[in-house]
Amino acid sequence: MTEPPILEWIQNTWLSQAIREGGLPYPVIGGLHLLSIALFGGMLLFTDLRLLGWAMRDRKVSEVMLQLQPWKWLGFVVVTVTGILLVWSEPIRLYHSPSFWVKMVFFTLVGLHALAFRPAVYRDPARLDSQITGQAKLAAALSMILWAGLIVCGRLIAFDASFDQ
Amino acid sequence: MVNNVLRWLVNSPWSHWINSYEWIFPAIQSVHFIGFAVSIGSIAIVDLRLLGFGMRRQAPAELAADLDRWTLLGIAMMLVTGFLMFSTDAVTYHNNPSFQFKMTCLMVALVFQFTIHRRAVRPGAGPVGAKLTAGASLLLWSTVLAAGRMIAFV
Repeated sequence: MTEPPILEWIQNTWLSQAIREGGLPYPVIGGLHLLSIALFGGMLLFTDLRLLGWAMRDRKVSEVMLQLQPWKWLGFVVVTVTGILLVWSEPIRLYHSPSFWVKMVFFTLVGLHALAFRPAVYRDPARLDSQITGQAKLAAALSMILWAGLIVCGRLIAFDASFDQ
Repeated sequence: MVNNVLRWLVNSPWSHWINSYEWIFPAIQSVHFIGFAVSIGSIAIVDLRLLGFGMRRQAPAELAADLDRWTLLGIAMMLVTGFLMFSTDAVTYHNNPSFQFKMTCLMVALVFQFTIHRRAVRPGAGPVGAKLTAGASLLLWSTVLAAGRMIAFV
């Protein structure tokens, strides 16, 4: 199986080589990726758990959601940027990794989830203070499933055949 | 003595079970990741509050009371899955400097969490001490995470 030529070009860029062969950069970026999973994942999880009524039940939904939002976004930005750098460092191996492609499907679904539920759930959380709608609970449950799927696929990438050395 | 225990772990029924299918180890590792997101995520919410960022309308003690059970659940998930992963290759892990460093930091972080950190969220705790505690807590848990990542590279 051959890969598109652009991947070889990416792999030969200075940045790609520096991350891949520099020694320290790869684990440091990987570590930051992991840290932001804890930050983004943690904030997202507690937003979802609040919507489902499982955590922080004594706090208003809008308070929990609005206050966790900036940290959720920070985590999302860091996890995405470090993720792109990791992809940039070895695009050809990832191209041949099925788990990577499943992960990208999950990533796309995360985007669609945000678009689909933003109007009814995330844009104006104050409306959920009196009653948490079924739609909001569905959004929360799906968000947790997607997030867990991303983590599982991310882990599986390291075990794919294309990563056997 | 230590080596006997390590070898016994490697040959334990659960190690054999984990090694019997390729997908079990990454599955356990995924639960480990979800566990640290639950525990470190909930600890970070309290720490950020102590530092004066986010969730300001709640007192730190209220937040900690809300999140305590989730922190414990996350820690339990991490420890159980961590122990299982350790068992499969106990001798190698035991000799890995990153792993040793991680375990040292983890012990400090856990003791810190249930002693100094617990006191800092109580009502009436001094704000400067609380901020220092929160900063130290974030740093400790980040170090545990980073050292965990380094295990594969050392």
